[in-house]
Amino acid sequence: MPDKTKQAPALRVSGLTKRFPGVLALDDVSLEVHSGEVLALLGENGAGKSTLIKMLAGVYVPDGGTIETKGQERHFTSPADALAAGIKVVFQEIALVPEFTVAENIFLEDHLAGRFGKVGWREIRRRAAEIFERAGFDIDPDAKVRDLPISQQQLVEISRALAHEAEIVIMDEPTSSLTPAEVRHLFQVIERLKSLGIAIIYVSHKLEEIFEIADHCTVLRDGRWVSSKPTAEHTNASLVTDMVGREITDMFPRTDRTPGETLVKVEGLSTRRLLKDLSFDVRAGEVVGFFGLMGAGRTELAKALVGYDPISEGTIRIADKPLSPHDTRTGKALGIGLLSEDRKEEGLMLDTSVTRNMTLATLDRFTKAGFVDTAAETKAAQGYTDRFRIKMARLDQAIRTLSGGNQQKVLLSRWLMHGLKVIVLDEPTRGIDVGAKAEIFALIDELAAEGFAVILMTSEMPELLGLSDRIFVLSGGRITGSFDRAGATQEGVLDAAIK
Amino acid sequence: MPQSNKALRIVAANGEVALIVTLAVVIAVFSGLSEYFFTLRNLTNVLGQASIILLIATGVAVALIGGEVDLSVGSTVAAVAIPLIGIMNATGSLTLGIAGALALGLLIGAVNGYLSAYMRINSLIVTLGTLFLIRGGVYLYTGKRATADTAYLDSFFAIGNGRLFGILPYPAVIAGVVVIAVIWAMRHLRFGRRIYAAGGSAEVARLAGFDVARIKFACFIISALMATLASILLASRLGAAVHTAGDGYEFQAIAAVVLGGVSLAGGVGNILGVVLGVLILAFVSNGLGMINAPTEWQLVITGLVIIAAVALDSLKKRWR
Repeated sequence: MPDKTKQAPALRVSGLTKRFPGVLALDDVSLEVHSGEVLALLGENGAGKSTLIKMLAGVYVPDGGTIETKGQERHFTSPADALAAGIKVVFQEIALVPEFTVAENIFLEDHLAGRFGKVGWREIRRRAAEIFERAGFDIDPDAKVRDLPISQQQLVEISRALAHEAEIVIMDEPTSSLTPAEVRHLFQVIERLKSLGIAIIYVSHKLEEIFEIADHCTVLRDGRWVSSKPTAEHTNASLVTDMVGREITDMFPRTDRTPGETLVKVEGLSTRRLLKDLSFDVRAGEVVGFFGLMGAGRTELAKALVGYDPISEGTIRIADKPLSPHDTRTGKALGIGLLSEDRKEEGLMLDTSVTRNMTLATLDRFTKAGFVDTAAETKAAQGYTDRFRIKMARLDQAIRTLSGGNQQKVLLSRWLMHGLKVIVLDEPTRGIDVGAKAEIFALIDELAAEGFAVILMTSEMPELLGLSDRIFVLSGGRITGSFDRAGATQEGVLDAAIK
Repeated sequence: MPQSNKALRIVAANGEVALIVTLAVVIAVFSGLSEYFFTLRNLTNVLGQASIILLIATGVAVALIGGEVDLSVGSTVAAVAIPLIGIMNATGSLTLGIAGALALGLLIGAVNGYLSAYMRINSLIVTLGTLFLIRGGVYLYTGKRATADTAYLDSFFAIGNGRLFGILPYPAVIAGVVVIAVIWAMRHLRFGRRIYAAGGSAEVARLAGFDVARIKFACFIISALMATLASILLASRLGAAVHTAGDGYEFQAIAAVVLGGVSLAGGVGNILGVVLGVLILAFVSNGLGMINAPTEWQLVITGLVIIAAVALDSLKKRWR
């Protein structure tokens, strides 16, 4: 693009540096993005992406380096400054007031207020409707943001960018809670923004999205700049190598293993809400993957399997013993446990130590006459942290401070400690780095090789195909396809998923 | 634009209909029980009495909508009456007296606001502290004695005891005008909308470039000023600065505010609901008095009304 490089880029960052007490969060990072172009910003957690974005949003003030928009140096001391300079960040945690209407949120900054600060309600509604028309969004300006799905809330955020005539839009992991159809729509919106001459910085973990949407890629690692290249010059492997800093030769290691006895036998399982007549079995030493789009019933099945949710019909047998519905206690006793999709809500006590989190389900074992034998507890926890290579400073560290991958390993340890034979994993790598993902995948393989039965619920195709010995596809609460490892293809699975 | 339709929709969307119905039922029931209840004299009396709590409740509601609690309002009522009466007695000037009261009110609001908004100390703790601190200060300063108004200004007497056209008590008129202004400001001024934003989602407000600490500071100032105004009305009615005045008003105010649908979590609520909440509690209390129910029962029934109303509201949310 020789014509584009002649003019000043929409945004140029040079030598940006940010220190926090004890850490150099961002060290001399530079990047640029031109109008009408999508730049992918990649890196693992802790690579410095969030710090960089927050400086561009005016949330953090840089300790060094410069930010230029259209060739002009800018100093942001507040989010208002960044917006005035034409930079709008769409954060993953949507920054809208849930109780306000869509239209009011779009003009939240100034409320189009006239004299004496009187809110221009009429103008707000008119201009919001106008923006929706121009951008082609089908949103009711009078709806409360609280009542909209995330995908539409994102569009409201993007409308805010349009309302402020932003020239640079930064999207932080925008697809992390979208359905595939919503992702498609978002990509159309991004194309639209490009055609309006807006520069976009797109932050994502999902490499397949990068190849589809990004013109350029800038990779950060440990707070430093690693590479900037046109996407066309990258391969999946080269991006992963840049991000992780080493080559990951085999994302999905696979030990030779022979399935043993049947550990889970499900017949005619239905729930009142969604699941209809599911039958399958899982043997020791097997990884069985369940794929489904959002709302297909993956999480529902996971919860029913461990006795968390009631079932209306059918039977679940674990190691040939019946599991009565709505009873996690027997579920645990029989040896089936769930690693849930939402680690923070359902699994972890964030401000409690690694040890306590790990021994939560097995506290009885370390308790004598009502007193917890902390020495034995610590010893057991140490065993698992060594075995799973959990990265942390101390065992009594609050689990909040661990990375997502390591938190996941702590939860897994909790259930293994409990003596589980069947492990249900619901989206085990959501929000986890590529490097840590590879470790979790290796761990899953290891567990299967040791004779555990692993049931994997996932919406990530590579993960499904890479890990599963057998695959079941869910759609509308029914099994709409089943594949063995050799016969599974991406097309076949997707086909069944949209049945 | 069909204005009346819009108004109806706003009322319905905010659950004020339930409050209006409740208020109507309360009035109907007591009208049936006592022939003296539904008389112009009694109804206007109740409005006059309720206006003091209404002002305080409105201030507390603004603070709650801004995501903060102000428990110090009851003690503030007692405190600001001291400079009011003291200065009036010394100078014979109502204006100077009110200026003195406003100055102390602003000081109290500024202390609460500075500690809560800028020092980021939990406002429940801060204002619980100032609740005791101010009351203690009042007791120490007055030696636990009321200070009578000896200036005998007609204008000051009229504020709390006069009636507009001989019908509507001035306190009700004053509170009505002030509260309508607050209702309008919370809905139509940018600053009012920012209070909602800061209380509902401080992080979002910060990202939108608002000075959240300043907004919250202003909430405490508003709350203290409303308490000051209430104190002036009360002092005029009592004809004195009474050291025990306003004791427990903070909880009467919070009860009415919660009844009126303001969320304790911040960012949600409507001052119109607060007005209805205040009126419901005032009419219940007055009605029970009319039928000679002992005050013990007034407490019990007030408690039941609050819990029932809030329980109904959360049931309604679950059905949605």
